[in-house]
Amino acid sequence: MTTLLANKRLPKIALATFSAVILLFMAMPVVAVVPMSFSSSLSFELFPSAPSFTQYRQLFSSSDWIVSFLFSIRIAFGVMICATTLGTFAALGLSRLRGSWKPFLQGFLLAPYIVPTIVYAVAAYSVFSRFGLVGNALGITLAHTVLALPVVIVLVSSALSTLDPSLEEASNSLGAGTITTFMRITLPQIRLAVFVSALFSFHLSFDEVVVSLFLSGSNILPLPVKIWSSISYETTPILPAISMVIILVSLCLLTPALLLGAKGDSTGPKL
Amino acid sequence: MFRIASVVGGMLRLKGFNLANWGTLFLLTPPLIFLSLLFAAPLFQVIWTSFFAPDFTLQYYERIGQNPIYGHIFWNTAKVSALTTISCLILGYPTAYFLSTLRSTTRQLLLVFVVLPFLLSILIRNYAWILLLQTNGGVNRILLSLGLISKPLELMYNETGVLIGMTNVLLPYMIFPLLSAFMAIPSDVKEASASLGANSTKTFLRVTLPMSLPGISAGCLLVFIVSLGYFVTPALLGGPRQMMISNIIEFHVRQVLNWPFAFALANVLLMGTLIWYFLYIKIIPKQRS
Repeated sequence: MTTLLANKRLPKIALATFSAVILLFMAMPVVAVVPMSFSSSLSFELFPSAPSFTQYRQLFSSSDWIVSFLFSIRIAFGVMICATTLGTFAALGLSRLRGSWKPFLQGFLLAPYIVPTIVYAVAAYSVFSRFGLVGNALGITLAHTVLALPVVIVLVSSALSTLDPSLEEASNSLGAGTITTFMRITLPQIRLAVFVSALFSFHLSFDEVVVSLFLSGSNILPLPVKIWSSISYETTPILPAISMVIILVSLCLLTPALLLGAKGDSTGPKL
Repeated sequence: MFRIASVVGGMLRLKGFNLANWGTLFLLTPPLIFLSLLFAAPLFQVIWTSFFAPDFTLQYYERIGQNPIYGHIFWNTAKVSALTTISCLILGYPTAYFLSTLRSTTRQLLLVFVVLPFLLSILIRNYAWILLLQTNGGVNRILLSLGLISKPLELMYNETGVLIGMTNVLLPYMIFPLLSAFMAIPSDVKEASASLGANSTKTFLRVTLPMSLPGISAGCLLVFIVSLGYFVTPALLGGPRQMMISNIIEFHVRQVLNWPFAFALANVLLMGTLIWYFLYIKIIPKQRS
């Protein structure tokens, strides 16, 4: 009897254990950074022998890192505004479009998501360098907006697809103009998706490394590029603390985005 | 003027574009112009320059074909992508299955472990792997202190490091489609199989596994496609022999400054990705809007 029971339960327990290990494996790099940021040694210590805030103190007193951080924030803010506006326009336009043009235009608008980032980075670098768009915030902002557009379009489109068209028709037939209908009927219903996609596009830009690497020149580096170029030359540990700062910023952006995304109709990020 | 407009309008209407709806045009024009100038034009320039210098030439592609280094890099890219796909499938399949058997609230809670790392900086996760995998890193220290090994293992600057890093980053791309495939299996199908006398192994092999095949193909193609263009992980966790196409493109653009040649390589990567992507669309019809 007991062996029979064990036989039935064993696969379940094995499966649960395996899954727990995999889930831990996925979270491991993020978790590993936490103790390291309080350590003063470059080699890994799960429990720092002399825990301190040295790295954080060093980080907040280094103007270099703060300048990079603010530069990245500035770019991400620009991307958030441009990508959310353009993406919402595109999603609204697509939702009104009928006929054979639609799949073609939709494919074109979502294409930046399919093209490998390195290919776009190289393409943008070669063209942007001719127009003075390499080495400044504007170039990176524009390129990141291209990358963020599909995310916004997908999120807002999926919110739009759940709307009841008869509401807009009713509004129109009651004498409201296109703009009034949009402001009073459509926008309130997609507000959540627009907000969530703003958070995602901010985060996408704040964290992007490949395109930034090509477009950043040599003056002010965006935070991910500065990290990238410091990894090979790290002599005193400071990157774990910076990683913690980035993780915290990301969590501040992503937690509301995921919660609202789950609350709203869109089923979380469709990335 | 009016005639031209009406003729153009008529042509567009023929193709199903309702020009009467000026609002649609007003909404779509800004994003379309933006993407045409900042996305399509640069990409077109890459493809064009790789063929015309200034006359039509295939010299850059011939160079890729003749030099065995590039053959090695293409082979390596395909191999690493395939191995990443396989390890993601092996690790992701049981996990996704387990998640699908849980109650909805528990599943949502555990999915945080999948979603959050997925969205957190790839660069930082790879940096953390350096801390864990280097000679005196976390993994080696733990294994040494447990007495499982006598000297540190070489876990990075080689293929092992690249595979660990890439599997870690790309597992969610496998788990999400698999999970949605498992969730799509109606529970009464499994119950029917059980009530007809099949034990759980047989039910799994005859019902669950075949019905999860769409998830397997979607997940595998997704991981493979993303792997092909991967840049950060091979650069940080691999050695010179683990260079993938992306890394050699970066090398030619930023170090060698041989742009047309880098463009030819980028074009090969783009075409390779698109072929697999169209396969993905063909196999997974209308799964996502």
